[in-house]
Amino acid sequence: MAVPSNGQIIEAHSISRIFPMPAGPVTAVADVTLQIAARDHIAIRGPSGCGKSTLLHMLGCVEPPTAGTLLFRGDDVTKLSDRQRSLLRLRQIGFVFQRFFLLPMLTAAENIELPQSEANVPKAERRQRTQELLEYVGLAARAAHRPSELSGGEMQRVAIARALANKPGLLLADEPTGELDRATGEQIASLLDRVNADGTALVIVTHDPALAERSTRVLSMRDGRIESESASA
Amino acid sequence: MNAMSFAWRSLVRQPARASLGVLGVAAVGALLFDMLLLSQGLVISMRSLLERTGFDLRVTATDALPGQGPLIANAVERAQAISRLPSVRSAIALRFADAVLLGGGPRGLSTTFQGVAGTAPVYPWTILRGRDIAPGLPEIVINENTATRMRLAPGSRVMLRASCTDEEQALPPEPFTVSGIAQFPFDSPVGTTIATSLPMLAKACGGNESNEADVIMVASQEGAGAAAAVADVAKLLPDLHVLSNAEAVNRFERGGFTYFRQISTVLTAVTLSFAVLLITVLLTVSVNQRLGELAALRALGFSRWRAAADVFCESALIVGAGGLLSLPAGALLAVALDHILKRIPGIPADVHFFVFQSSALRIHLLLLSATAIVAALYPIRIVATLPIAATLRDEVVG
Amino acid sequence: MWIRCILALIGAALLAPATMSAEDKLPSVLISRQLSEGEHLSVGDVIRLSASDDGRNVQQFRIAGVYEPTPDPARLGAVIREVQLHLPDLLNVTRDPSTPSGSDYVQTINVALVDPSDAAAFSRDVRARMPGIDAQPASGAAESTGPFIVLRRFHLAIAIVTIVASTVFLLALTIMLVDERRAAVGVLRLIGLPIRRIVLQLFLEGLLIAVVGSMFGLVLSLLSQGIINRFFQWRYDTALVFVRITPQVAAICVAIAVPLGVSATVVASWALLRRNGLRLARR
Repeated sequence: MAVPSNGQIIEAHSISRIFPMPAGPVTAVADVTLQIAARDHIAIRGPSGCGKSTLLHMLGCVEPPTAGTLLFRGDDVTKLSDRQRSLLRLRQIGFVFQRFFLLPMLTAAENIELPQSEANVPKAERRQRTQELLEYVGLAARAAHRPSELSGGEMQRVAIARALANKPGLLLADEPTGELDRATGEQIASLLDRVNADGTALVIVTHDPALAERSTRVLSMRDGRIESESASA
Repeated sequence: MNAMSFAWRSLVRQPARASLGVLGVAAVGALLFDMLLLSQGLVISMRSLLERTGFDLRVTATDALPGQGPLIANAVERAQAISRLPSVRSAIALRFADAVLLGGGPRGLSTTFQGVAGTAPVYPWTILRGRDIAPGLPEIVINENTATRMRLAPGSRVMLRASCTDEEQALPPEPFTVSGIAQFPFDSPVGTTIATSLPMLAKACGGNESNEADVIMVASQEGAGAAAAVADVAKLLPDLHVLSNAEAVNRFERGGFTYFRQISTVLTAVTLSFAVLLITVLLTVSVNQRLGELAALRALGFSRWRAAADVFCESALIVGAGGLLSLPAGALLAVALDHILKRIPGIPADVHFFVFQSSALRIHLLLLSATAIVAALYPIRIVATLPIAATLRDEVVG
Repeated sequence: MWIRCILALIGAALLAPATMSAEDKLPSVLISRQLSEGEHLSVGDVIRLSASDDGRNVQQFRIAGVYEPTPDPARLGAVIREVQLHLPDLLNVTRDPSTPSGSDYVQTINVALVDPSDAAAFSRDVRARMPGIDAQPASGAAESTGPFIVLRRFHLAIAIVTIVASTVFLLALTIMLVDERRAAVGVLRLIGLPIRRIVLQLFLEGLLIAVVGSMFGLVLSLLSQGIINRFFQWRYDTALVFVRITPQVAAICVAIAVPLGVSATVVASWALLRRNGLRLARR
């Protein structure tokens, strides 16, 4: 696995996200300041509707903040065009979703190859990388299976492999064990730990206290703000 | 995986839906192709038929079409004068009447009766069997339908009773000998036609007015061209009306043929609208059912353009496959529709309503391409303006 | 000088009626609107008519009115340049001077019956009493006109192709709509509802959609009828009606559309209901 560059990957200064609604504006995230360095392992916790996912989407450059400054490796994200943000996500950020969102018409291997193909990685290199990732997540024997033929845990492992396809420095996971049973969730958690240990910064949004305890920093959110930050043991 | 491969996999994922989309485009495309063929088919076919007769000018007494206006007086002398023009190769005077061939049933066989003043081989028919009429002899050539229905062959003798005006007449029957079986270019599939020399027709019509004709047919010299012949004839005989083949086709186009052009335009518009609607609905529903996946791909780094390209390629694949199928389907449909329309009474057997033209194929491909683009616009808009985070949230909540 | 003016006035007054009466004595004709517009003629103008191209036997007529020709589909695209004369005037114009008066003929006599339903019997009676005369009811004549029978078949063939394409479209749409509800259908199966019950529900939904869709289609076609007729009447300068949606046509369309719509829904649902409920409910 490639080792991300040293230094801060993300620097967020007083970022906010306000949604205009017919009944009045809703502040999903308010005045959050945060730094994420290489190899950080951060968990974001909080009650439902506190703005965890919105914060994650801002950190992943999916949604720009409506106020504040967000730097990704020194570049101001708010000044980037949509195309530039897409490229950023493609090459430098990986996403893992609660619902997996694998493409059902592609095999496990093809799902992992897809972001590499979009990043213009040569075919031979793609194939090799895909094979490595499948072995990494323990699914080398299921390369030709479609998502409908995989269990929930296996699908999430494929999703993690897909997120790592272009060797991102940052992996963002939104409730990665939300749809899995405890045992399977434990396997996913261990895999994510390994990803982090191998050099990828990791930010996880989770309700699961056991998953949160595995991280080195735990941010607690309430009403769109970071209420507290603690270091795990 | 490029956009086209991705689009293919997306379509194959829902084979029933994709197949129906392709079949729908094929059916609509077949109709579209046929309407394009119809829009010019009749004109092209008629033009070709007129040119094949070997005559490129028609001279009449007024601007009415041959056979529909008054007769040309002194037609034989005028035809001879025209034939002496340097820009003219030959000219014949032609008169139309009706006749009943006696025998073969209580009422005989009604036929179209033509009388020609001119010299073979420039008669407006083609001998299939036997020989052509000899000038001055009571001989006729007949078409295949007449020969079959009356059981006649070259050498057969037949009595015919002519009818040469709109009035009721009781002319005596005249004996004729069948010299040959001929093909008349303007015969309908069930038409019965016979022809003789103009003096013999006049004799059968009571012996009066042997020097009148409905039309003088003119063939221009090869080097001179129709335009020069038109000018020369008009100068020689300013009281007559000269119509070139091109002008005749123009008149047909402005007259009865115009209905087919109009209906082809209307049906072309309807079929295109239908195709756009079909593909737009298919793609839109397909996109709406995959919003979560599309949002995830965008989150993973797929650009708007890539997402739009995927949708456009799906549209192109459906329309492309359907368009390819539409060509043989359209050809078969054209044969069937042509068969129906050729039953219109009076339509010559050699005239077709649906004629293949490369321009029609080009327009067909262009219109289908435009359909693929226009149909993809709305679903592309959905994909391009998809709010990624909101969609991901909705998927989780949903 | 005053006496000369008075005499001139009296002379003009005497002359005017003589002039007017000369024109008044001219036989009157009606001309078609197209002829009036094409030749810039109007009511009161005097025209000269001849039946031969060399102008023999020319006669003068006064235009008494301009009329709209009865629309004739057989003359579509033609500019109707017509003149309506009294029959004796027409015979005078068209008769060869060497032909004695009284030896003329007409092609057709139109008869309006007191009771139109007597048309067939009247025709038979005329044919029996007058050999050589053919009498046909007007409605029969219209039906026997070959080109329009062929055109009817042509339009029917086009309609069949359109129905095939529409059926394909309908099937694609219903498959997509039913597929969207697969999870709900799967849950209903899992909680124990029999297939028959679900099929009945889907059938009723399909019937409702088909009926409403047919009504909408009828309204759309009625609107289109007006637009198409107006366009072609303008294009061909005619009062001919090109599209007419009769109650029979509407009934046939609904009778085809509703069963097609319902069948498409049932066929689409059948493929779905054959699957295991658990597979349907699972996303």
